Amino acid sequence: MASPQKQVQQLARQFFRLSLENGGLSPARVVGVLEYIEKHRPAHSLAILRAYHRLVAAEIARGRAVVEHAGVVPPAGLTAIAAAMTNKYRRPIASVARCNDALLAGLRVRVGDDVYESSVAGQLAALGAAV
Amino acid sequence: MTLPLLLAAAVDHAAQPSIAEKFGLELKYIIMQVISFLIVLGVLYKFGIKPVTATMEERNRKIAEGIKHAEEMQAKLAAAQEESASLVRKANTEASRIVDDARKLAKEHLDRQTQEAAAKANDLLTKAQQAIELEHKKMLADARTEVARLVVLTTERVLAKKLTEADRAAYNDAASRELTNV
Repeated sequence: MASPQKQVQQLARQFFRLSLENGGLSPARVVGVLEYIEKHRPAHSLAILRAYHRLVAAEIARGRAVVEHAGVVPPAGLTAIAAAMTNKYRRPIASVARCNDALLAGLRVRVGDDVYESSVAGQLAALGAAV
Repeated sequence: MTLPLLLAAAVDHAAQPSIAEKFGLELKYIIMQVISFLIVLGVLYKFGIKPVTATMEERNRKIAEGIKHAEEMQAKLAAAQEESASLVRKANTEASRIVDDARKLAKEHLDRQTQEAAAKANDLLTKAQQAIELEHKKMLADARTEVARLVVLTTERVLAKKLTEADRAAYNDAASRELTNV
């Protein structure tokens, strides 16, 4: 007999698998899963929703490249970065621009848990850590 | 003239009574006296002399035994004294050996303690030197880190003020090209 927390994780993963369509997250299926949970109210529904939200957020983050920048970034650059990440991870990845003046200049790209840094702040931090 | 005198004396002497007669001695009385004496002698021997002799012999035997025992005891005493003297000599020798051993052990212990104390002192000194060295290195590292942090902070502030939008755009363009090649 699995523990309640393990059961919650298993059910959340099951819901998450049901939310995928052609290897990607389907908004319609996500809505269907949420409606199902709201209608049937399984045991520990709040914990299940939290775990499901975490999985969905991670999946969304996996398909999104957050490009932090200081200064202007041409749309062509964002497109090129998205294409490069798509090619690298072999899955469709869309780029999302987010201004971050703390970078001083340059870009920082986050794809899921991976971070790619090419900024003045990053280089200064690396310099400070190396001294 | 002499001869008639001698004859006259002999005649006078012959005419005188004998000594036994003169003293009234008679043979039967003498024999009775002898028999009485023998009886008295036998009784005395039986009840007086013989027990006294036996007692004396017993006493002599006991005295001889006592002397012999005393001699044996003296011999034993001499042997015991010799043995005790030997034991004392042996004990003295053993005591001397034990004292020597104790002195030797005490000296070895003192040497060992001295060596251990010296080793501990050296160890403490080495550790203290290492601790000082580590503290020095840590202080240098902290100072280096602080200096680096200040340099980075200052550089960031200077760059934040000095970088123009054109500079940022050019840097972003270069970063974009760099990130597309990851």
